[in-house]
Amino acid sequence: MRRLPIYILLDTSGSMRGEPIEAVKTGLRALLSSLSRDPYALETVYLSIITFDREAKVLVPLTELDGFTLPEIEPPETSPTNLGEALELLIRQYGKEVVKTTPEQKGDWLPFAVVMTDGAPSDTMLFKQMTAELKKHRFARIVACAAGPKAKVDPLREITKDVVSLDTMDSNSFAQFWQWVSTAVSQQSQTADSTQEDLPPPPNEINLVL
Amino acid sequence: MTTIKTKAKDGTPVEFVYKDPMQGGVKDVYFAPDKSYVVAFFRKNPDIAGQERIEKLVGQYRKGIFEQAGGEYWKKLFCWPEKIVEYDGKIGMTVPAYQSHFFFGKQTSLAGAEKEGKWFASAKNFNRFVPAEEKGTLLSYLRICLLLSRAVRRLHAAGLAHSDLSYKNCLVDPSGGNACIIDIDGLVVPGLYPPDVVGTPDFIAPEVVSTLHLPVGDPNRKLPKRETDQHALSVLVYMYLFHRHPLRGRKVHDQEPDIQERLEMGEKALFIEHPQDKSNRPNLRENDKVCLPWVDINKTPYTMYGPLLKGLFELAFITGLHAPAQRPMAGDWETALVKTCDMLQPCQNSQCVKKWFVFDNTTKPTCPYCGTPYKGVLPVLDFYSTRNGKDYKPDNHRLMVYNNQYLYQWHVDRTVFPDEKLKPEHSKPVGYFAFHQGKWIFINQTLPAMKNLSTGEVVPVGKSVDLTEGLQLLLSPEATGRIVNVKIVKND
Repeated sequence: MRRLPIYILLDTSGSMRGEPIEAVKTGLRALLSSLSRDPYALETVYLSIITFDREAKVLVPLTELDGFTLPEIEPPETSPTNLGEALELLIRQYGKEVVKTTPEQKGDWLPFAVVMTDGAPSDTMLFKQMTAELKKHRFARIVACAAGPKAKVDPLREITKDVVSLDTMDSNSFAQFWQWVSTAVSQQSQTADSTQEDLPPPPNEINLVL
Repeated sequence: MTTIKTKAKDGTPVEFVYKDPMQGGVKDVYFAPDKSYVVAFFRKNPDIAGQERIEKLVGQYRKGIFEQAGGEYWKKLFCWPEKIVEYDGKIGMTVPAYQSHFFFGKQTSLAGAEKEGKWFASAKNFNRFVPAEEKGTLLSYLRICLLLSRAVRRLHAAGLAHSDLSYKNCLVDPSGGNACIIDIDGLVVPGLYPPDVVGTPDFIAPEVVSTLHLPVGDPNRKLPKRETDQHALSVLVYMYLFHRHPLRGRKVHDQEPDIQERLEMGEKALFIEHPQDKSNRPNLRENDKVCLPWVDINKTPYTMYGPLLKGLFELAFITGLHAPAQRPMAGDWETALVKTCDMLQPCQNSQCVKKWFVFDNTTKPTCPYCGTPYKGVLPVLDFYSTRNGKDYKPDNHRLMVYNNQYLYQWHVDRTVFPDEKLKPEHSKPVGYFAFHQGKWIFINQTLPAMKNLSTGEVVPVGKSVDLTEGLQLLLSPEATGRIVNVKIVKND
């Protein structure tokens, strides 16, 4: 069965400590529970979570939706935002985990990725290099989210055209964002490999960056 | 609570709770305070042609189907828009709420979720996620397919095409044997209104997929119409009976995903079970084990539901896949499914997941799902009727006998068929079968002039006749009455 891989890249730098990370976790749990009641998502979705602060790490490798449990996420006191390193890891995981289509065999559906940060990349050189490298990999869609007032939109636009921003980092905004992601993932799981589909209309708390 | 009280376009009162809508693809849906109906507002108001179409939908077309004799029957099969509502600059329609049997039971893991067709059309979902008490039996899937075919046949008879038949737009309830077509507002009248949807990926007809790249208005672009509905219906029937898609096999046409999708569902579409061209057989990846036996076409071939459905699957996915005019009509499915239900045999293994199987005409019938062989004496009844009053010819209709199997008027009289037009007096059994004191017998309950042709004796009401090899019974002496011929399969 062809899988729909979903990669979630989460900023876990120091500024996410406390309420923001709790709100993100609540949002992720809601995302999991809503996708678990969606017959399209249940059939195909596999999820992976990559976190990044001082270093990027695979918190959960690509795992079937059914049986996916969200581990503890504990951002360090202070740390840089190594988004470049996260992209490097994403590219490595993509190469390792996603089954490619060859003339002999159908591979997985094109992956879907979500990048969420509340700041700007600290490893600017690597970030630049990796955004170029990322372009060589096919995704059904990458959605980037600039969360809160300090998040920089411009670097995210290097990654994807689908950038959204959240004015505040309160639990309501995060809840709305993850619910919207869940709708987008569900939609993706219904449209085979089509990359043309519009994103679902975002709720008021989420601003599409045009 | 922000309950809005307003009036529909026809002047009747409409109420809805104006907050937290459920969001569909193009509509926001609000419940009436008593939840007996919903009001679905288009997020983007339809254009003039679209408005005209929904006017006709709630007016002329709805009346044509529901306000005729027998119209009540269709209320279970269609969730049909009833009134047009305009509020706050938005155009919407009232639609009856889904019946409660289309939601998963409260005690199940999916409590409250809609039973949309996808739950049951996918082997992984069916095997792993659908709660056991919601799985239904083979009989219930045949019945669901029958109801959907009947509903589509009715639309087509009215000159309409649904244009987006898919498991998304069909609610099914296997445990109760119910089905209902929803999201009817995309309905098209060929030649009158251009369709505004192309359909759902798994269900779009090949000729539509292969001309999708042409601009709307191009004379070569193929749009949804009756024949594309026929393709979608065949795919639906196949998916509910086999829990897999008939065209999604292993064949790679192009490594570019969009092109692959366009070729695989369009120009190069190929039946995964094509008897000669075996290049598109289903893939068996490691994670497909959860889908067994449905990914294994040797264990569950398209022929397993008997000759009638086999013939239609061949028309749908071999002969007619790229030749729309040859596709089976909805009514063909309906007839074949009714007859196939009569060919069912209960599996003797009480734990069997499908509970029934179609008798395969062999001397050693075995349940294909659990492998349990049938033990005992198995009477098989074949029906014959006459067109000229003397020669009786086979009707291609067979009834399997099991304990408490019934015989109905539609078995007795070739002009009676169990559909929406069935008269109430014909819905009661005319007799039944039982295994009694080591013998299979038929008990005549209401047939006034049934005759044992082997002995020449009349079998009066209230009396029984032993079912033996070669026994012939004239069920009714009327010109449209049938003869049955009994065959006995022994398997000890």
